[in-house]
Amino acid sequence: MRFTIFQESRKGSRKVNQDRIAYTYSRDTLLLVVADGMGGHAGGEIAAQIAVRLFIERFQQEAKPVLKNPLKFLQDSMLRAHAALGSYANQFSMLETPRTTCVTCIVQAGHAYWAHVGDSRLYLFRQGGIIGQTKDHSKVQYLVDQGIIGADEVSAHPDRNKIFSCLGGLVDPVIDLGKRTPLRNGDVIVMCTDGLWSVLAKEEIATWLTSTPILKTAPQMMREAEKRGGADGDNLSAIVVRWGPETLTDEPSTITESLGLGQFETQIDRTLTLTERKGTQRDLSDDEIEHAIAEIQATIQRYRK
Amino acid sequence: MAVTNQALPGSYQLLNYRIDRQISRGGFSIVYRAFDETGAPVAIKEYLPSSLVLRTEGDIVRASSAENLTSFRYGMKCFFEEGRALAKINHPNVVRVLNFFRANETVYMVMRYERGRTLQQQIQMRQDQMSERLVRHVFMHLLNGLREVHTHKLLHLDIKPANIYLRTDGSPVLLDFGAARQTLTTNRPKLAPMYTPGFAAPEQYRDPDRLGPWTDVYGVGASMFACLAAFAPQAADARLQEDHLVSAKKIWSGQYSDNVLEVIDWCLRLDPLERPQSVFALQKAIRDIPPKKRKLTFIAAVKRKLFSEIGA
Repeated sequence: MRFTIFQESRKGSRKVNQDRIAYTYSRDTLLLVVADGMGGHAGGEIAAQIAVRLFIERFQQEAKPVLKNPLKFLQDSMLRAHAALGSYANQFSMLETPRTTCVTCIVQAGHAYWAHVGDSRLYLFRQGGIIGQTKDHSKVQYLVDQGIIGADEVSAHPDRNKIFSCLGGLVDPVIDLGKRTPLRNGDVIVMCTDGLWSVLAKEEIATWLTSTPILKTAPQMMREAEKRGGADGDNLSAIVVRWGPETLTDEPSTITESLGLGQFETQIDRTLTLTERKGTQRDLSDDEIEHAIAEIQATIQRYRK
Repeated sequence: MAVTNQALPGSYQLLNYRIDRQISRGGFSIVYRAFDETGAPVAIKEYLPSSLVLRTEGDIVRASSAENLTSFRYGMKCFFEEGRALAKINHPNVVRVLNFFRANETVYMVMRYERGRTLQQQIQMRQDQMSERLVRHVFMHLLNGLREVHTHKLLHLDIKPANIYLRTDGSPVLLDFGAARQTLTTNRPKLAPMYTPGFAAPEQYRDPDRLGPWTDVYGVGASMFACLAAFAPQAADARLQEDHLVSAKKIWSGQYSDNVLEVIDWCLRLDPLERPQSVFALQKAIRDIPPKKRKLTFIAAVKRKLFSEIGA
């Protein structure tokens, strides 16, 4: 496989970044994941982190070096991530299950497959035009579909953040699967959170990314979007993939043939703000470590014959 | 590209133990042979997850970022679970923990050092098939150890030839409780369940709420299968899609007693409820197998005949 890839997550004007993005690839398969955690405290961040990690880990277990059934993999992973969030909340007796959106895409044998839950999006551009996109599981999208509001009213609508499907919610997630789509050289896949698409129309994104080298213009686009978000700007994240050899610049594209069987290259965005917490999470404190060791020592003594 | 953790060097002094050499290296730990202060050999397992590169030189283990520290400490919990599990068990067929301590910013588990080789190595080394006598001997003893494990409300969850050690006297020891879990406290699915394709039961892939003694029973059956076949049975997740596993009874009929083959097939049933539900049930099934008829020598045959006619 040959492609150029860019990913970035920015905090906007929020205190914490609850977006998580990652990609990983074997010699013959590429996985992209974007998750936008929801809710107060650390919950959203944890949810997005868990979802992204689960996708990466399952992918590395199953893509050896290809997935048997990419769409099934996407659907199963979504359901497992949903279940994992439930059990995480259970394990730590959290009042509210951490929740997150998730959009994810597999490219294998020249075809793209994607799935999403919530309002994080995937766009597929070809020669400056759009040939594929996800449809948000949101209240405003429903209103647009019913003809109650226009598409241009979405970004300013008071209920624009309300979504009816997410991972970790009380009801099982609605998962939309994108059908197998053949890719051509030069096609651009963009996956992003609402922090990006609410300030940049897809036509603008197409202009930024389809006729210029993405490694140069994608960072500019992110800065511009963050600026537009202003003092109230949400977290914003994007993964951009330009499929095929890079023809717009001399910069090298990624070639996966050098990877051995069973090898993976992974990039998980680490815009971590969780470090501020003080041992409230799954982290073990020094005291707990000492305590655990003392307990094991005592047990060894007790059962020594 | 591949940066690996440095092992502790030979003759390194770790508390009252002197490191001799590295024995093995897994995803989460390095195992060393070492000597205690009396000069007796021990095996020391050092917690050192390879996914978080933590020690490129020297002895102190450092997390490379705040996030890594969190993951490192979280993984340590699993290492403690293994220690807790083993500390309670004092059985000749289960690896014995002798000490547990903290040093170099990580944790260490000291175990009894055993001489011999793993069942995996035994299978790979042998040219001819393993004899029924040996298979039965190894598994009957191993099941005694596993029964003790289950008695403590623990499941091993990673039973496979590589985790079964054969001492030089032929007795087996169950090793590596890294996947073990206290079944009473929690059997919630974890983020990264560990399983070995071919030896893990189907419920380990998709139904973690249904783990039980029968899950380890599947691993035992798969390990017995591997002793005969010299390869692992088809992975359970693939079997659920399309079961290509040929029954042991079909493959080795005539070469092993029907009952051993039937026991293997019984353990390898996909439905947990259709397998032996406890180690005891499994042991009973193996014990019930009538010993293979030995060919009688001429004299013995005559003797027997005589006795039967006399009615003795």
